[in-house]
Amino acid sequence: MDEMDLPQMKKEVESLKYQLAFKREKSSKTVTDLVKWIEDGVPDDPFLNPELMKNNPWVEKGKCILL
Amino acid sequence: MGEMEQLRKEAESLKDQITAARKAVQDTTLQEAAAGITVVGRVQLKTRKTLRGHLAKIYAMHWAVDANLCVSASQDGKLIVWDTITTNKVNAIPLKSSWVMTCAYAPSGNLVACGGLDNMCSIYNLKGKDGNVKVMRELAAHTGYLSCCRFLSDSEIITSSGDCTCVLWDIETGTQKTVFAGHQGDCMSLAVSPDFKFFISGACDFTAKLWDIREGVCRQTFGGHESDINAIGFFPNGNAVITGSDDATCKLYDLRADQELITYQDSSIMCGVTSLAPSLSGRLILAGYDDFNVNIWDSLKSERVGVLAGHDNRVSCIGVSADGMACCTGSWDSFLKIWN
Repeated sequence: MDEMDLPQMKKEVESLKYQLAFKREKSSKTVTDLVKWIEDGVPDDPFLNPELMKNNPWVEKGKCILL
Repeated sequence: MGEMEQLRKEAESLKDQITAARKAVQDTTLQEAAAGITVVGRVQLKTRKTLRGHLAKIYAMHWAVDANLCVSASQDGKLIVWDTITTNKVNAIPLKSSWVMTCAYAPSGNLVACGGLDNMCSIYNLKGKDGNVKVMRELAAHTGYLSCCRFLSDSEIITSSGDCTCVLWDIETGTQKTVFAGHQGDCMSLAVSPDFKFFISGACDFTAKLWDIREGVCRQTFGGHESDINAIGFFPNGNAVITGSDDATCKLYDLRADQELITYQDSSIMCGVTSLAPSLSGRLILAGYDDFNVNIWDSLKSERVGVLAGHDNRVSCIGVSADGMACCTGSWDSFLKIWN
């Protein structure tokens, strides 16, 4: 904060007032929601379910044929 | 007491009040909430493709939303649009300035953007009438390097700069719509929320800020890191933010409760985080480091569950495709790799 001039300092104080006014929700609600959202999504996450990568577009299909 | 001194005291008091307000809603921790969850098994991703063609360090890459295309930027002075499945170069765009630090793909797939030490953000139209890719706009106004840029649409883009500000631009007119000022250090990275209403910026003042795009104000500021924040990303549901820093750690912040939830660190990791991306579900966080590796973290248990080793120099950028099927890493070794 030491490098700020007066106008910047005034803006910083205004910003802090605005940030203080933010309506914070209880962690018990927000964290539980976050954990549930993640767990619900895990079965569809290709990096966590090899079956979803069965048709992997980046893996060469088919084998070489000897002519 | 001088006005400056008064303001300083007021700022300190407001910061203390914010700390208290955060404590007041902290009635659980992520560790407690995830206590009954088992760590995911070892995640082993293989290199499926190596994209060769750049002749110097790669500084940035960004996946297209629709297809399996991505764009990369290198200090060889080129932007290359790749078909990651065939490894063909769809476009190889020569840049006016080779000192490029960032690139972005528009959600529509029509435009790409880049910028760097030229302090400008150049917009290129990939779908021009005659098939040639040309500069459509040069957005100039920043007084410092362009560290990152992200499209909101074909008509709006947000940039972050070494001049400590972020800017929302009108691409059509080439003018600044909003300047987001407040960081006390170079802005290094930005990410847009899934609903396009907010964006977050990470800076060399060790903080991350959440900005309301239409109101033009900073809604929340997150501290905790002990050095520059180089990488930042939204959690897929838009309610959390992940940061990566020179302090060798990544952190997860809860937007709704306005607090730091957890730190992803290991005593054996002593180098800076350069880039990061969450997996589709957010259960995994893939982070690129200065030591040439990507570490994969279980976001809920804060344990390392995998490593992507394959680059011969710093991993400078990383991205997970929109469908979560592949991860792309770009490195100072001039190669991009596709992993899954």
